[in-house]
Order: sequence, then structure tokens, then C-alpha cells
Amino acid sequence: MDTPLRRAATITRRRAAIPSRAGIGLRTPHIREILATRPNIGWVEVHSENFFCDGGQPLAYLDRIRQDYAVSLHGVGLSLGSLGPLDTEHLTCLKRLVERVEPGLISEHLSWSAVGGRHLNELLPLPYTEEALAVVCRNVHQTQEALGQPILVENISSYLRFTHSPIPEPEFIAEVTARTGCGLLLDVNNVFVSATNHGFDARAYLAAIPAAAVEEVHLAGHDRAGDLLIDTHGARVASPVWRLYQETVARLGPVPTLIEWDNDLPPLAVLVDEMRHADHLLEACHAVAA
Amino acid sequence: MPSLLELQTDFAAALFGRPRGNLWPSVVDDRVSAPERFAVYQGSVVGNYCKALRAVYPVVERLVGERFFAHAAKAYACQVPSLHGDLNRYGAGFAAFLASFPGAAELAYLPDTARLEWAIESVFHASDAPPHNVEGLANADWAQLRFRLPRSCHLLASPWPVHRLWQLNQPGVEWDEAFDIDSGGVYLLVRRSGFEVELEPLEEGAYLLLTALAAGTALGEACERALADRPDFDVGAALQRHLLAGTFLLR
Repeated sequence: MDTPLRRAATITRRRAAIPSRAGIGLRTPHIREILATRPNIGWVEVHSENFFCDGGQPLAYLDRIRQDYAVSLHGVGLSLGSLGPLDTEHLTCLKRLVERVEPGLISEHLSWSAVGGRHLNELLPLPYTEEALAVVCRNVHQTQEALGQPILVENISSYLRFTHSPIPEPEFIAEVTARTGCGLLLDVNNVFVSATNHGFDARAYLAAIPAAAVEEVHLAGHDRAGDLLIDTHGARVASPVWRLYQETVARLGPVPTLIEWDNDLPPLAVLVDEMRHADHLLEACHAVAA
Repeated sequence: MPSLLELQTDFAAALFGRPRGNLWPSVVDDRVSAPERFAVYQGSVVGNYCKALRAVYPVVERLVGERFFAHAAKAYACQVPSLHGDLNRYGAGFAAFLASFPGAAELAYLPDTARLEWAIESVFHASDAPPHNVEGLANADWAQLRFRLPRSCHLLASPWPVHRLWQLNQPGVEWDEAFDIDSGGVYLLVRRSGFEVELEPLEEGAYLLLTALAAGTALGEACERALADRPDFDVGAALQRHLLAGTFLLR
């Protein structure tokens, strides 16, 4: 059982690549501006699938970004929660991209998005059962074997829960990290959105997650639609989420933090402003740690 | 209680409008009802597909209008399963779908316009073409040489003037009142030059030659075929031009 030791070693290596600062999710409309102005951004994260292509401008731009910024690869399409072996073509594309980019971190979601060969291309919630736990762990193992390194799994926002879901989500996550040696990408906005939608206590959830496994934090904006909060990635980070984030880093210590924005993408300056706010909170926590 | 596979199968079927009777007992129904909760996913899944199609087919959307495009994209999303976790690949079948989509039957040029937009998208992301590899072939038996087209080059023929139609529907381009959709077809080479995608109209002979070469026909036979159909075709000039431009590469 060399898993904990192996993980400690890899965490040290990867932490050196992605600094415990705030970064931004890199989206196509901002790439030219970043290449031209080289703003002071801690690091960037891209959606892996958008660079599965064989060549052309997007990959060339990513290569240039990589020269100046640490890059993290964030996947949305692997479907860790689906039965059967993972899509090997998808995994091969991811491996090829990992070899090209040498990312500081690689992450995927704790969700499912395909069944019986049909992809639904959305982050769908799992029932938290022993069966689902075994499926996710097998798929995380397969991914880590294929890539030759550990990945992070991210907690998703959800809008429904299943009646038969006996394992609490934080416990399910803790089991996945313990059984596979993967890390946790803790999305604080997702915790807030799901807590609101399902009526659970976000602080109790954050207290129950495996703190030592957290290697990255995500922050994003959400919107309200009727009685539910929707994880739109289309607004600034909400005040209650900033408060939860502040409490989280006070407990976990400095951790790489990403500002995500996908819909109604604003000028880069807005993302940089959000990033600076996260950096400010991280610095306060660095100061305490020192 | 259902197995994970049963639950996911029911969930997926319900997303695309099939009966949800099996699903409801599995979904928590509380402050917000199970159908309302499920509707969020139904909206986002179809919405993701529509967004992916809009990104690739802006000219088709301009031609049919936003509302009709959304209607067609939704129908495509319900009828054509996505086979990849990479959403960027989802639109590959949209042209074929439009060809048999009842609402678009009168717009016979629409499928070829979609084909052109998909070709542009594919070429934009294709592997970078290697430099042409025909040097030192001076003494080779040219008639027997076989070539291939790099992925950064794509051939397209249409009985409609889709090249001009595409040009006229680019942002900032003023509509040409003299444009006639019945003014005849076009042979096109869609190719990437650096990072830019270029559309190069071809004469019929060159299109026939390149299509034959792309299919693996030996050079001698490909030239004969093109000349049989177009005796006036300047095969020497076309060969020289496309060899130097790297349109085809030695197999």
C-alpha cells in the first residue's frame, strides 16, 4: 500500500507547477489579449476537450500560453460515473494533450455524462451508492493508469438528488480519494449551489470533506432560476461564496484557486479583478500561515 | 431500487422526451418538485447542443434566422445521439440532418452550406500540413505515383453557389442584390494557410484531378480521368500549382 506515500511525492511536484495563487479559466476570446499583454495571472486552466484537435491556431496559442503560465487541464467529457470501460479514444486524446502541455494539474468531475454509448455532454449527478462508488473508483484508477499520474475529481452543482443515495456526498468523495489516491478539486460555488438547492448546510459539508486531499479550489458565479440556483459560470462570485471560500482557505491553508467564467464572458479585466480578490484572501491566509 | 445502469438509462431516455414514469420514483421530490428539478437538466443538455451547433454553423443560422435554427438544432439534438465526450464533434451530421429536415426542404442549398461550414471548422483544427515531399522525384515514374490530401485540405462540390453565399453572410459584408442562388454551382478547395482558412474556387478539371488523387488513384490515371471529362483542362499548370502549394502529398 504505497498510495499515501506516492501521493505525497506527486503533490509536492505538482504544487511547484501550479502556485497556491489565484488563476483564471482561459477562454478563447481572451487568448489573444493575454498573449499580447502578458498580464500578471497566477496560472490558467483550460477545458481539455477544446484542445483535442490535431493542430491549428488553438493548440499553437496554448503552446505559447504554456511558455509563460502554468497550465491546468480540466476535463468535462470523460464521464467517471458511467459503467463499463472509459472511452479509450477520449482517454488517448487526453493523454496526448497531457504529454504536450505537461499540466500542473489534471481534473475531471464527479458525475456521469454517458450511458450505453450515448453521450449527454452534461455533468449529471450520481446516486451515492456502493455501486456508484465502485464504478467511479474503477474509472479514476483507469484514468490515472492511462495518464501515469493522479488526477483531481471535482464536486459538481446538482439540481436533483436520488431517493436511494445513502452515502453523504462528502463521505463519497472521501472514499474516492482514499481508495484511488486522487485529489479533490473543491468547487466552493458548487457546494453553495447544491446546499441551497437541496437544503443542506454548506459549512457542515465543507467541514466533512477530506481536507488533506484538496489540491485546487474553483470559484464561479451562479444565477437563480425560480426556486433553484443554477451554476451558470455567468456572473461574479456571490458574497456568500466568498465568505465560504475565506473560511475554507483559513482552514486548508493556501491552495491554487481558479476563477471560472463561461457564459456572457466579460472583458478579461473583470476576471482579473475577481482573481485579485481571491489572491487578496489567499495572501491573508499566507500571512497567518507564516 | 434500480441499478446504476437502469437509472442512467431511464434518465437519458427522459431527457429526450421519452416517458419518465420509471424515473420519478428515483428522484427526490421536496420543496421543488422532481419534474421541475429534472427540467433543469433537460434544458441544459439541449441548450449545450444548440450552443455547440451555433458556434459551427453561423451562416446557416443567418440564412434561416435564430428561431428556426433553434428549432432545427433542438430536433437534431433529440434525433442524433452524441457519440463523443468532446462536444466539438457533435455537429458532424448536421448537414445530412438538414437534407431531410421537413422544415428546411425548400432551402435545397442549406445542406451544402452546412457542409462548407463543417469543412471550415474541421480544417481550422486539422493537423498542420507537413511541407510538400515531392522533391527529388525528378526520375520517378510519375504516372504511378500516388498521393493523399492532408487533413488541412478539404474538397467540396455543390450545385449551388455556396461559396458566394458564405461570403455574403460574413459579419460586416453587405448583401449583394444581384446575387442569384440559381446562378450555378461551385468546386471548392477549403484549406488552411497558416492559421487562416481559405476558400479557393477550382475549375472542374482540377476538382476531378484532386478528388481522384485523394481517393488514391495513381497520378497518370487521375490526369486521364480529369482530361476525359474536361479536354480543355490545363493539367500541367494545375499539377504544378497544387504540388507547390502542398494540396496533395506523396502517400
